[in-house]
Amino acid sequence: MDPSEVEFLAEKEMVQIIPNFSLDKVYLIGGDLGPFNPGLPVQVPVWLALNLKQRQKCRIVPPEWMDVQKLEEIREQERREETFTPIPSPYYMELTKLLLNHAADNIPKADEIRTLVKDIWDTRIAKLRLSIDSFISHQEAHAKLDNLTLMEINTTRSFLLDSLNSMYKLRSNTQPGSAAEKTMDY
Amino acid sequence: MDTQSYMPVPPGIGMEENFFSLDDILLSHERLPCRLQTTFPRLGFLEKSSDTQDIPEGTKMEMPLWLAKGLYEQKRRVLTVELPKVYREGWRTVFGADPNVVDLHKMGPYYYGLGSQMLHFDSPENPEVAQTILQTFIGRFRRIMDSSQNAYDSDTSALVERLDCLERALFRAGQSGLNAFQRWEKGHAHLTASNLVINYRKRKLADMNS
Repeated sequence: MDPSEVEFLAEKEMVQIIPNFSLDKVYLIGGDLGPFNPGLPVQVPVWLALNLKQRQKCRIVPPEWMDVQKLEEIREQERREETFTPIPSPYYMELTKLLLNHAADNIPKADEIRTLVKDIWDTRIAKLRLSIDSFISHQEAHAKLDNLTLMEINTTRSFLLDSLNSMYKLRSNTQPGSAAEKTMDY
Repeated sequence: MDTQSYMPVPPGIGMEENFFSLDDILLSHERLPCRLQTTFPRLGFLEKSSDTQDIPEGTKMEMPLWLAKGLYEQKRRVLTVELPKVYREGWRTVFGADPNVVDLHKMGPYYYGLGSQMLHFDSPENPEVAQTILQTFIGRFRRIMDSSQNAYDSDTSALVERLDCLERALFRAGQSGLNAFQRWEKGHAHLTASNLVINYRKRKLADMNS
């Protein structure tokens, strides 16, 4: 999967906007949106929010977790604990990038948030690598990927799967019985 | 995005070879030291070092893996295959000490593949060979992962120089993940149409009407 595909999935997340136009309820395959009234907050998917924002028809309310204090807490917790901590949004990286790139003027302290999210990301990726390494060196057979987000899994997926495949095959060499059974299939 | 119009078949790595894998085809040309257990009549012209009509029993010669695999049989003793140097006791100790120092590209370049293939030939050392290969892979894994995930936009030839073919494929997989992410983060990545869709040859209804 390409990161832009992950981003595409992230655009389905809901975000609150405050429109400055009025429009009746819109009926779409993915669900009904609206009605839009000037000044009244509504929940819309990110793709629509960004589109409206680009046409200057709304103001985006940043998600609750996109806040310097909360992110600092998450960062500290992430650094403290050895396992992955629950993250407020499964698409935190994508949403941060999308919202900060297109609606930075609606988000207070945008630069600080960008750095914080990057910090959290780096900490988590470092943890991911560490756990992959111990996974391989202990020759484990299965692992739980709790609290990992799609984007994080996506960056190491091909590498991890390829190496696990190779390791599995090299390990089945050491048990001649199972390998011999396989050859009998022909 | 790294898209290709065909899917290359990955190497089989284990005892099985993948018929369509280019790596496995190249691997099957690796030469193995063999000793003949029977006389090969009228094949003396293949062995350039002697003038006899037959290749006599007990001759030591090198054979490609595919031929050795074909001729090798446990019941009819046609030939015995000796372990190549890298898989023997001496080198196994080196790999046990520190697998990271070995230049597997020079020693292999199909160290893992050939090592697994050697298990086809009966030898008392087989379990140790299999174990050493596995431990070597595990021992070298950390370095491959770190170097492939940290080298962004830089020359990687020095990093892959000492890697075996299998490890190079892993390195490339790691790099493609890293590069794709970095590209996305910088905003260079855009959704692209799949090659399958672009090359879709079926006529569309709109084209038929016009």
